[in-house]
Amino acid sequence: MSARRIWTLIKADVLHGPKDAILVMSIVMPILLALFINLAFGNIFTDRAKLGIYDSDSSSVVEILKQDQSISVKTYSSEAELRQATNSGAVDMGLVLPADFDETLSTGTVQLKAYIWGESLAKNRAVIPAALEHAVRQATGAEVPVNIQTVALGEESSLPWSDRLLPLVVFMAVFFGGLMLPASSLINEKQHRTLEALNVTPATMADVFTGKGAIGASLALIMGVFTLLLSGSFSGNTPLLVLVLAMGSIMSAEIGLLSGAFIKDMNTLFAIWKSGGILLFGPAVVYMFPQIPSWVGYIFPTYYVIRPIVDISVSGYGLGQVGIYMIVLAAIIFLLGLAVLSVVRRLSTQALRLTG
Amino acid sequence: MNVRTIRALLKKDLALFRSDRLYLVLTVLGLIFYTAIYFIMPRHVDEDFNLAMYAPVLPPAFSQLTQQPGTDIEFFQTENELKQSILDGKYQAGISLPANIMEIWASGGKPDITIYYASTAPPEVSQAVKTLVEELSFNQTGQPLSFDIDEEVLGPDMLGEQVALRDRMRPLWAVLILLLETMSLASLITVEIEQGTARALLVTPMRTSDLFAAKAVLGVSMAFFQAVLFMAIVGGFNLQPLIIIITLLLGSFFVMGSGFLLASLARNVQAVTGWGVLILIVLAVPGFGAVIPGLISGWARVIPSYYLVDTVNRAANYGSGWGEVWPNLAILAGITAVLVWGGLTVLRRRYQ
Repeated sequence: MSARRIWTLIKADVLHGPKDAILVMSIVMPILLALFINLAFGNIFTDRAKLGIYDSDSSSVVEILKQDQSISVKTYSSEAELRQATNSGAVDMGLVLPADFDETLSTGTVQLKAYIWGESLAKNRAVIPAALEHAVRQATGAEVPVNIQTVALGEESSLPWSDRLLPLVVFMAVFFGGLMLPASSLINEKQHRTLEALNVTPATMADVFTGKGAIGASLALIMGVFTLLLSGSFSGNTPLLVLVLAMGSIMSAEIGLLSGAFIKDMNTLFAIWKSGGILLFGPAVVYMFPQIPSWVGYIFPTYYVIRPIVDISVSGYGLGQVGIYMIVLAAIIFLLGLAVLSVVRRLSTQALRLTG
Repeated sequence: MNVRTIRALLKKDLALFRSDRLYLVLTVLGLIFYTAIYFIMPRHVDEDFNLAMYAPVLPPAFSQLTQQPGTDIEFFQTENELKQSILDGKYQAGISLPANIMEIWASGGKPDITIYYASTAPPEVSQAVKTLVEELSFNQTGQPLSFDIDEEVLGPDMLGEQVALRDRMRPLWAVLILLLETMSLASLITVEIEQGTARALLVTPMRTSDLFAAKAVLGVSMAFFQAVLFMAIVGGFNLQPLIIIITLLLGSFFVMGSGFLLASLARNVQAVTGWGVLILIVLAVPGFGAVIPGLISGWARVIPSYYLVDTVNRAANYGSGWGEVWPNLAILAGITAVLVWGGLTVLRRRYQ
């Protein structure tokens, strides 16, 4: 292998290679997904009971309820809007506060009207009235007759939905570009017979594969860092995080190179992406739904990329805690590297036969 | 149109599909994976607060908690047993009351109550239990609140019969399986144009309409077969099977029209995938609305696939009948007709 030739190939691919849908999708899709999840899905996947309120008279109870961490509160500007929101399931309960709510509280019994979404869970129906009573007591200055101490048991912490969706965003960033770019580039070269043309130049098959792999891995790494920044999750031990992202990018490029070597046309590549993509994205699904047993994640090779990324960026773990996953990841990269090397050797031999 | 020609074209396309074993295996594998995800997910909704309690003396107000809907309480003999049950993951939270709780209240003091919660539990769980305990304490110390809530349940009351998340996801998966065929069909047509086989075919006695008809039959059958098979495996036909089958069939024609339009816009297979994925994301949005009610509001109705997802969701998960879903089906049929007509017209122009 020659570093100079590889650099020439990389420059040629970057400057003169096809600027097609794959490249656009590799860049646009992760950004769109990261923005979409942050903007649209930010607070939707919470497990909290959702209370909607129509308050015509700025009751102090509403502000107290908004501070309550056991529920989510949304306010509506009309009763019709509140009813509609409850009917659609946007809130579990829609509460109509009468105009003189605060005054009546101190004088007598208050009649409240509440809409309940038919599919609201029993526990949400129990928590919301308790939270309301709690807020009313705070508003009236009642003293709590107990001292409550809360104690967490266990070491692992829970993940909010915004963090659970993080693996999906990172996967899209690292694996789409990292895998599809080298794969489609190799397939294009094969289809246009330019791979054979390269064989008659001093460039070896190893140079070609290294160049294409480097482009894919670099794009994957850049997009991985960029989407983590967009998601506000580029935190924790950043050098370690970049190292894991780099390892994931190399892994995705290796899979891309193997796919490009074995797949004969773009149709098949897309078919594999469409159907086999679940193998890559499996851990993202496992992270999204804690109901799925966590052992399922260990089956997928990509789990060893995403687990350390989430552990570092969300839980703030260090090398000590994620080291074991990185060792497994390094082993997977090594095995995939051996497979790529074997393919390169086979293709080089074929080329020798062709040229010999 | 010539039926024999269409049959010959279909045979050719099917032979190509079968000969490419990888494609065939991956199609089957895709279905298996979607189905596997469905079966891995829990079949029931856990809609109660599962609480552990250690109470050497149970204050009367706290005993009400055992009868309150939405809470499921198990009592433990010792505080250590309670803590162990939480650590074992059997309960998300537990309440430990002191033995002299009634005496402390009687003397005007404040007893110390401990709430244990699993560190993996969302923060709202411990907060919700804390709120419940505080309210029970207020009631126990003779400070009940004076307001009545007049409740009206909107929609069917599903208490105790909640639709599990995996069942909510069924319409999303079924529609995704359908919509993915948009890309397959568009790719199939684009490949014919790219490789020049379409032109070669058109110099035979075959007419453009025969070619389109063959592609349409193939696209509709592939999409319909996969979606029906998936729904059959995951029990999607337990309620209103006829409505669901008709909706999926309409959806397959919708896919066909979209595929034709996509093929007419795209220059090559990469462009089909590029545009196809963007279109797929937009069309999949209503599916997420079925999974997470309240996520999308009225604006989602401008996305044509809304009528497909909503109908499958209503029929499969709530047993809605013709009376409720016919407006959806009528709109879906109208959109599908426009898509098929538009797709055919634009594609014909491109061929000619």
